[in-house]
Formats: sequence, C-alpha cells, structure tokens
Amino acid sequence: MTTTTPSPARVGLPHPGELSRSQKLMVFVLSMTTFGLANIITEVLPSIQLGPIELSISYLAFVPVVMVSLFHPLWAALGAPLGEIIFVDLLMGNFSGIGELEGYIQLALGLYIGGSLVRDPLRKWQVALAAFVAVFIDKVLGGITDIVKVLIGVADAEFVEGLPESILVLEAVEQSVDIVISGILFGAIPAMLLAPRLHGRIEPLLGMAPRTPEVPVAQRARISAPFVILALVLGLVSVVAAILDELDLNGIVLEGEFVENYGPQVLWISVGVALTILVIAILVARSRATSSIAASSSDIDDRLAAAAQAPATVTTEPATAESSAVESASPVSTDSTDK
Amino acid sequence: MTALVAGEGVDEPTGPRLAPAPKRTRRRERDTLSVEWVKLELLRTAYATRGGLLTIMDPRAVVIWYVILGLSPWFTHNLTVLVILFTIAAISVIASRVGPLILGLFIIGLLGEAVYVFIAAWFFGGDSGTVIALLELTLKLGTLSMASMAAFVSLDPEKLSDALLSFRAPALLSFGVSYGYRMLPILIDEFHTIVDGHRLRSAPVQKAGFLGWRVLWRIAEVTFAAFYPLMLNTAKRTRTTVEALETRGFTYALEHPDGQRIRLAYLRYRWRDAGLIAGTALLVVAAYAVGYAAPLEVRDFQ
Repeated sequence: MTTTTPSPARVGLPHPGELSRSQKLMVFVLSMTTFGLANIITEVLPSIQLGPIELSISYLAFVPVVMVSLFHPLWAALGAPLGEIIFVDLLMGNFSGIGELEGYIQLALGLYIGGSLVRDPLRKWQVALAAFVAVFIDKVLGGITDIVKVLIGVADAEFVEGLPESILVLEAVEQSVDIVISGILFGAIPAMLLAPRLHGRIEPLLGMAPRTPEVPVAQRARISAPFVILALVLGLVSVVAAILDELDLNGIVLEGEFVENYGPQVLWISVGVALTILVIAILVARSRATSSIAASSSDIDDRLAAAAQAPATVTTEPATAESSAVESASPVSTDSTDK
Repeated sequence: MTALVAGEGVDEPTGPRLAPAPKRTRRRERDTLSVEWVKLELLRTAYATRGGLLTIMDPRAVVIWYVILGLSPWFTHNLTVLVILFTIAAISVIASRVGPLILGLFIIGLLGEAVYVFIAAWFFGGDSGTVIALLELTLKLGTLSMASMAAFVSLDPEKLSDALLSFRAPALLSFGVSYGYRMLPILIDEFHTIVDGHRLRSAPVQKAGFLGWRVLWRIAEVTFAAFYPLMLNTAKRTRTTVEALETRGFTYALEHPDGQRIRLAYLRYRWRDAGLIAGTALLVVAAYAVGYAAPLEVRDFQ
C-alpha cells in the first residue's frame, strides 16, 4: 500500500458533518454521477448465464461505498441509487416505474448503514465491511421483496406444490452469488484499496475536511445501526407474516372477487405499520446519535475489529492498523493523472 | 484523441475498431467490449427520439395511466381479468413502438424466469397446478413491465421528471435528470480518455489465457484504476457546477413554489389526456366485470 498519510484536518474547512447546503448538493451530485457512470459500465460488462443463476456484476459497489465512506453517508447514499435510475434506467429507456422505488430504498438504506459503520476511511477493513454490509442489506431486502411479490401475486402460493421451496432456493442462490460477486469481488476489495488513496485528496476539492475518527459525522445511524437493522428485519418479518396469514384466510374462508380486494388492503396496512416502526426507529436512532456524539464508542470499534478478523486493528492509531492489515499488495496500478 | 486511438488501434486483443470493422470474424466478439462502440451505442439509445402513441400525451397523464394499468392486476387472482389486462398492456406496447431489442429481451427474460422457476418447482414435486400458478405470476409481472415499457420508453426523461416533480417528487430528482442528461456524453468521453491513457502506457496482454481470463482481468484492473482520476476530476467539476448554480440561487428557485410553477407551466391537460385516463379506467373496470361474469381461478385447475 502506498504511504497515504491523512492530510491534517484543515483549519477553516467545514467538517463533513456540518456541510453547507451547496456542499450537500455537491456530495449528492458527485455520488450520483460516479455511480451512474459505473452502472453504464456495468451494463456492457459480460455476464455468464448458468441456467437460472446469472454470474453477472449487478453493480460496481465499490464506487458508492467509497463515496459513503469518505463523505457524509446520508447524502452520498441518497445520491448513488438515483444515479443508477437516471443514467441507466431513465436515459437508456429502461425505467420500470414502481420497481425503481424499491431498488432505490434498498440500496440507499444499505449504503447509509454501511457508510455509517466507517469510522476511519483509512482503515481498509472498515471500508471492506461497509461494502459488504451495504451489498448484503441491498441484496437480502431485494430477495425478500421478490419472495413477497410471489406471495402476493399467486393465489394460495404456499399450497402450490413445490412453488415456495423453489422460489426460496432460487432467490437464496441468486442473492448469495450476487453478494459474493458484487459485494466482495467488485465491492469490498476495490473499495478498501481505493478509499484510503482518495482520503484526504478528494475532500479538499469539495472544500471540506476529511472524515477522521476524532470527529464523527453527525446524522449517521452509527451508534444504533444494529437497532435500525433489527427494526427493519422485524418490520419485514411482520409483513411476510401478515401476507402468509392473509393467503391462509383467502384459501379457506374468503371467496369471490370483491372479498379478495380485502386482502391487499390488509397487506398495505401492515406495510404501513412496518414503515412507521422503521421511521420511528430511525428517528430514535438519530436523536440518540446526535445527543451522544461526543461519547466515543469503543465497543463498536472492538466489534468491527472482531468482525474483520484483523489481529491488531484494536489499536486506535490508524497507521498501525494500516500496516498490520493483511492485504498489502495492491493489484490496482493506480496513477494520478489529474487533467 | 478518440479518433486517433480508435482508428490506429493499439495492438491489444481488446482494441477498439470503428463501426466498419475489419473483416475478421474472430475479433467480433471482443469488439463488443470496446469503449468506443459502447459509447456510440449508449449515446444512440439515450438521445434517440422515438415516436409513439404516448409521446403526444401530457407526461402526468402517462404516469397516471401507468399507475392504473400497472397496479390493477395485483388486486385479483382471476385469470380472465389477468389475460384481458395483459392484452391491453401488449396492445399499448405495440402502439408506443417499443424497439425490437428491448421487447425481445423482455420476452426472453419473462419466459426464462418462469421456466426456471417451474424446473425448480418440479424438482420439489410440482405439477400442472404449478404451471398455472406460475402463469398467474407471469401475467401480472408481464402486465406491469409492459405498462412501464409503453409509458417510459416513449417519454422524454426531462418531461418525465417534470411530471414527477408536479406529483411532489423531490426536486433533486428533477435536477439529477437535467444534470445527467447533459453530463452523460462528457463523462463517457472522460472515462474513455482515461482508459485509453492506461492502454497507451501499458503493455498489451501477451496471452489471453484460459477463457481469456487475462483479458478480463486487465479490463477489471483498468476499470478500477480509472475510477481514481475519474472521481477526483468529477469532484472538481461538480464543485464548479454546483457553485455556479448556487450563486444564481439554484436550490432556492428549485424549491420555491413560484419557481416550480414557472418550470411546470408548460404542462397542461388536454381532452385527449382525460380521454386516455378515462378510457384506461373503463377498460380495467370492464376487465374486472368480464372476469366476474366468467371467473377462471387457479384452483380450478388443481
């Protein structure tokens, strides 16, 4: 790894936590543009189809992950999925209406949580973990959404011979392949190489100081990220349960098409309840995060280190962690041609 | 720069060729990976104008039309209704002149998905009932996809974003569309230049390796490396653009009600828009009525 020392936080430059309005827009636009371009490249990369399983790169996850690791995670996470929608779907005439909304929410949520986990972008394993978490959340939510679609779309889906198992198996295989390819090969590995190199160089171009572990970013779901995940999982479980319940009723008691309209309404109510829970959870998390921003959270640091399995990352000094990281040889021949 | 590199062709297996490619069929497969080809193809897709039934409509009416037709199949399990709705969607796809490429990909994707699910279901002991159940799902997904194809293929992205803005979508969406629409060629050009720079400065891949893995590895490597200067350059450009916009009060105007009113003033509903929405709503109601009169459920086949 190159000896990228963090440039000292510049006096006078605003910290990424307290951005001006135009800087928020800058982060948003930068994240949107780069991920949009990355998606255009993904569109033309080849994919190998092995029966139902497609060995393809669904997106170059490292681009938005670098963005959420280096800049304010919220604005970068909101911008990146929009770049995909605008550059690939809208401009290429591939816009799928409501389907885009679900994809946007999944990816933005994943990236926001992933980016919030990063405390020091110079630590490669934190960035790698952020990439994995972001893609994992996106893909798992996507898989659940697909299954839910089948459950809504097919009458008495769980009574059809072989259908629930096959959907479950297909989704599980597909999403795991995606998590490995997009999350690790094209997510974690390039991101952990790229983020430390850009750290301290790209932020001054937007007129802001780099993110450092000393001053955590405000408005990130950091302290209670597990809390948000838990709330989300619970909410989704409740949705699935509600649908199963509803299908059950549909099969036994309710008949006729007027009454069938009753089913989706119950479903929407449960979705609404789940969303309310989620919003409340996020609000609570945010208030907690902003109130206890000064409190250093060494326990999460320990957990991160344990998750990354890096032996010496517990030490708080960035340089030590950098040198002790397992990965040292960088295959990316980076050059700094600034035009 | 572009023409020079593309024309002379650096001797590398993935070398780009201009459109009249040399008559060496062996090369054709790799030519599809050339950045130049991709750029031209993308620009053609993004900026081509297509005619069609829905292009003359008000974009807000088109969005409403899409929502009506796309959501209506999800409220029933009645196959009669679904078949009628599917037919309506198919007719509108034909009327809005969706290109054969997009249409072909859609059909292959939809059928392929259903076939794979059936094979897996058969593995777990499925039967003909499973086929009917999958047919139901395929009809629903197909109707939704065809409605979105018909609505959005023929709609200018800026018009569409204005329609969404008028439905109280976030103003940043509309800004993103305008920005992306103008920046796309510059960005692709820049990426192309960076990749060309890498290729000029590095030795070509000597051997392709098993299944050409060395070539693929090189492509991945260059792609990753290209993002380093690209991100820095884009950051610089973004700051210039945003500061220039903000000096002129961009965000203020974007969010101010008066600014929105002026921006959206050109949109107006006409009689034909009302006709489109009313006609679609009538057709959907009629489909449900027919389905109620002659119901055909999945469980009839089990």
